[in-house]
Amino acid sequence: MWSRLVDSTAPAERVAAFRMCVGVFVLLYLAIRVPVFWDLATRSGTTFDGVGLFGWRDTPLPVSMIRTTVVVAFVSGVGMTIGYRFRATAPVFALAMLLLTTYRSSWGQLLHFENLFTLHLVLLAVSPAADAWSLDARRGTIARREATTYGLVMQVACVMVVVTYVIAGIAKLRIGGAEWMFGDTLRNHISYSAVRLELLGGDGSPLAGVVVRNAWILPPMAIGSVIVELSAPIALLGGRWRNGWVAAAWFMHLAIYALMLVGFPYPLFLIAFTPFFPLERVRDIDLRRWLPVQRQSAHSP
Amino acid sequence: MSRRSRSLVIVSVIAALFLPVLANRDSFPISTYPMYAGTRGTEVSFVTAQGIDADGSVVPLSLATIGASDDPLVVAGELRDVVRLDQADSRCRVIAGRLGARGGDDFADVEAVELVTERHDTVASLRGEDSLRDRTVHARCGVGG
Repeated sequence: MWSRLVDSTAPAERVAAFRMCVGVFVLLYLAIRVPVFWDLATRSGTTFDGVGLFGWRDTPLPVSMIRTTVVVAFVSGVGMTIGYRFRATAPVFALAMLLLTTYRSSWGQLLHFENLFTLHLVLLAVSPAADAWSLDARRGTIARREATTYGLVMQVACVMVVVTYVIAGIAKLRIGGAEWMFGDTLRNHISYSAVRLELLGGDGSPLAGVVVRNAWILPPMAIGSVIVELSAPIALLGGRWRNGWVAAAWFMHLAIYALMLVGFPYPLFLIAFTPFFPLERVRDIDLRRWLPVQRQSAHSP
Repeated sequence: MSRRSRSLVIVSVIAALFLPVLANRDSFPISTYPMYAGTRGTEVSFVTAQGIDADGSVVPLSLATIGASDDPLVVAGELRDVVRLDQADSRCRVIAGRLGARGGDDFADVEAVELVTERHDTVASLRGEDSLRDRTVHARCGVGG
């Protein structure tokens, strides 16, 4: 497995496709969540509790700084995604998103669904991700690197995904222990999420009550989720191992959303798993194969 | 880039990602991912804000009214901090003001807002049984002056 990690090769187009996937996802995420990020600027400072980059701060940042960062993130994000002046726009986008997501988690509640795409943005910012399929590349001034360099970028992106899931699995064993898998913990987490939502004016998942009334189904699901998380390294083997693990991880997130209404959009929309696949082959897909009208016309004289 | 350099990069990334686990300190963007990892009992205390009508009955408020946010995790965290920091009165007035400013018929019967901690048996709640075990009022304030 180590050799697969270190000696892996990839075309520049694969890293470029990864850049575009992550860029489009984060831009859409930012666009949808912009009211949340925008309103961070005017939050009461009494509950501010800086983490990460802001661990040294006791007070919120100035309003203008937060709102400027939101605008800068949008502008640099578009540049990064299309590969325009990538060496400048990618680091600025990564830094802006790192600031915004860290700041958002600095109010007493760490939000764990923004970690992975933030890490991938940081990786892309220091990668040659605009050597192909970019406006910079169209100018023809970029020399291609060795295939192992692009391979390394994709493998590091995969390692970030794998380690994230392994740590989440370790946390369940370390903090919850065997009780997490074999006891009522999952049932209690599901019911807790539903009641919390209802008390805060929302509606819990309609499936939550169903599984709580049929709680025999939950220990196998708990064991399954820990197995999925701890077995993440098998995805690095590629082929059926990778496909099976990605499918299992995606299903796990789907189940979490269905039962707890806790959504992890990055893996739910499969973007988190894109570095495991030869993304550049998307250009070889012949869409006409799925268009019956055109296929008929191709057979007509 | 040499094979040795590539190995070093991968080892460094793995080490950096595991660092919070070794230090047992959650942070962002590298984390110990402790969400939902702990064990949890069936009885849980929740801090929330509720409307009270003329009969003294509880009227659930919307997430936007309670926290000016669509994220329940954020609102729940804020309310816990408000109680911890003994700022329930001021937050209660903010929510009551929000309710008065919104107008409309949805909460027309609400005469007061209470910021409370309620202890529920969450499993009993999902089974449709009586779940409220305890209720503490931290602050009460009128709506519309």
